[in-house]
Amino acid sequence: MQIITSFPLVKIFIILLSAFSMPLIHNRRHIKIISIIFLSFSLTLSLITLNYVFRNGAFYFNAGYPDTFLGIQLYIGPVETLLSSVLEFVILVVVWFSAFSIDEEIRQNRIKFFYILIHLLTASILGIIYTNDIFNGYVFIEVAALASCGIIVIKEKKENIKAATKYIIMSTIGSGLLLMGIAFIYSYTGHLNMDLIHLEILEGYDDYFKSLLIIVALYTAGLGVKSAMFPLHIWLPDAHSSAPTASSALLSGVVLKGFAYFLIKFMDRMLGFEIINQLNILPIILILGSSGMIFGSLSAIFQKNIKRLIAYSSVAQMGYIFLAIGLGSPFGAVIAVYHMMGHAVTKSALFLCSGLMIEKTGKNEISNYRGLGFEMPITFILFTLGALSMVGIPILPGFISKWYLSIESIQLGKFLLIFVILLSSLLNAVYYFPIIINGFFGIENLENRVYKSKRAPYEKLAPIIVLITAMLVLGIFSKDVLDFLITGINAL
Amino acid sequence: MNDTILKQVVKIIAPCIQLFGIYVILYGHISPGGGFAGGTIIAASFILQHITFGKAYADSLLNEGRALKLISISLIAYGVLKAYSFFGDYFDLPHTPTGIPGNIFSGGFILPLNILIGIIVTSTIYILYSLFSNE
Amino acid sequence: MTLLNNYYESASIILFGIGLATLMLNRNLIKKIIGMNIMDTSIFLFLVAKGYITGRKAPIITTGFEGIDAYVNPIPSALILTGIVVAVSVTAFLLALTVKIYEAYGTVDLEIILNLKGDAYADNNKLPLG
Repeated sequence: MQIITSFPLVKIFIILLSAFSMPLIHNRRHIKIISIIFLSFSLTLSLITLNYVFRNGAFYFNAGYPDTFLGIQLYIGPVETLLSSVLEFVILVVVWFSAFSIDEEIRQNRIKFFYILIHLLTASILGIIYTNDIFNGYVFIEVAALASCGIIVIKEKKENIKAATKYIIMSTIGSGLLLMGIAFIYSYTGHLNMDLIHLEILEGYDDYFKSLLIIVALYTAGLGVKSAMFPLHIWLPDAHSSAPTASSALLSGVVLKGFAYFLIKFMDRMLGFEIINQLNILPIILILGSSGMIFGSLSAIFQKNIKRLIAYSSVAQMGYIFLAIGLGSPFGAVIAVYHMMGHAVTKSALFLCSGLMIEKTGKNEISNYRGLGFEMPITFILFTLGALSMVGIPILPGFISKWYLSIESIQLGKFLLIFVILLSSLLNAVYYFPIIINGFFGIENLENRVYKSKRAPYEKLAPIIVLITAMLVLGIFSKDVLDFLITGINAL
Repeated sequence: MNDTILKQVVKIIAPCIQLFGIYVILYGHISPGGGFAGGTIIAASFILQHITFGKAYADSLLNEGRALKLISISLIAYGVLKAYSFFGDYFDLPHTPTGIPGNIFSGGFILPLNILIGIIVTSTIYILYSLFSNE
Repeated sequence: MTLLNNYYESASIILFGIGLATLMLNRNLIKKIIGMNIMDTSIFLFLVAKGYITGRKAPIITTGFEGIDAYVNPIPSALILTGIVVAVSVTAFLLALTVKIYEAYGTVDLEIILNLKGDAYADNNKLPLG
């Protein structure tokens, strides 16, 4: 047994243990330093694991009971390592940003709890991604839901409490459905381990077609609520726009991806795409995903508040992910995972930029941002790069996923989807470009503006620059990333 | 609540409830029960004292800050013990022994883990109650 | 095997429906929380009914191991215990939020709260709560 195979669980352990050591520390500065040190350490372990998987392929880790099917099993394949490394990287950078910004947004005695919640969130997202045991996944999902609710409500304003209540009620509906799905699948197969469930289902799924349909429906609805599938997204704009900047970046960038990846895991590892293609549930996901892409963008056009606009854009981008899942092919799932990574990096950068704009102007309506590109040029250039990726300009990750999504839908003979993707891209441009154009150009916009007068401090800009650089890297090396990911999907 | 009978009864009953809770925690690995059940029972006795003797007296036993520290220390100890059983194999550390039916001091880490869970649950349930009861 | 033979499962599905409907359709936050608890409990009933095998006893060894056929399946009970802990924490969190909602808005009717307009960003700089 090599020690590297235990690194995924070690990461979850050290993140949780460092979280529980925080209540014993009184100095806020020390808490931030501890948080950054432990998250960097776990990111290092992630990268070592990534290297190991790149060389030796996927592996299992049995917690507690080696060489049996008892106990909880972790499965660490190419997709899991890469996705968890990217998400951990995003969390680390957002925590780095929050170290300089969170003092201004929440009360001083709450800062300790903010970092505890972020650590719980990180550990649970890692758990959701790695776990091979559905009930363990459910517990991690609940922890993630409670922690993400906590980082919304930590800013104790009326709007936050309302948004958090809405979120937790929707999320409770989702987890009830998910738990019922787990109870069904346990009584159907007698296992909780995904591989064993897969073997059990393969044996005679023809006789249990209706049960399987119910199980898939419960899972899709339950996880769809949590990851903002289109008609169930109504909690998202409030929750993501009212939270503190760092929380918004984490919620939009990281948390949604964890839940959506659990759905992919369910379809790929537990059922397999051959079975799920016979179940008539994928066309529904496809339609919901496409409507999410269109209606999310349409709603974003009419938003006056910049954070709400970006939050509605998240709904549209989750639509892409569900569209890619709904294609029902292994390559579709690969594109979904690639889009998750691209969107995680880009959307968190956009939220951090919008946080800086709100902080410097003191206003969150877009109409106040005319000529701002002249006053805070670096922030606005970074915002522009992120927005260009969302719209889909070549080289950037947003374009890559749209491109491969179109190619895959042509190969599957679903030509209508190309128009949906094109329309959604145009709509993305409709709401992102006015901000950029009014920010940089227009004589009346630039009157009486002093160059760099509202320049953001460099310590707050550095995290965003790192995120945007990561986005460019993800776009430039997209071929290698996709080649690596394709080895992980359907590896059973 | 200024009722003499109530106060006298609670004075007698609360230690009994706590003793029962401790029994449930200690025998959790060889009979029905365990840290969660026993912890809630002990927390119930604290809640009873909170109701009868008022917030000040209950806070002198277990207040929010102290409970938070207890929870953190217990969770860290719990994590360290679990880390031993999860990762001990990689460092050739000895395995914990399996239990003997009917023997309290057997079963490796299950007894200390149950005690730690009992502390965590007691503190959590009591904090939950005291958050909602504002007199 | 008809619906009446599996009356535990039928009852739990009916309870699940009641809980889900209460959670989704009721306007009162407290009743929503009650609905959530009914929903979770129905799932526990479903699981425990699936785990029970007639004529066997709880898997607690006191007088010596009596063979694998003497005990019921312990895994559903373990799942339910975890599920109860999760349900307790979600309930506590929701109740705490309800207290905050009542302090902030003076009502626990979610319909009224969600239809309130105008307060969204106007008083964003004030802390309404102590």
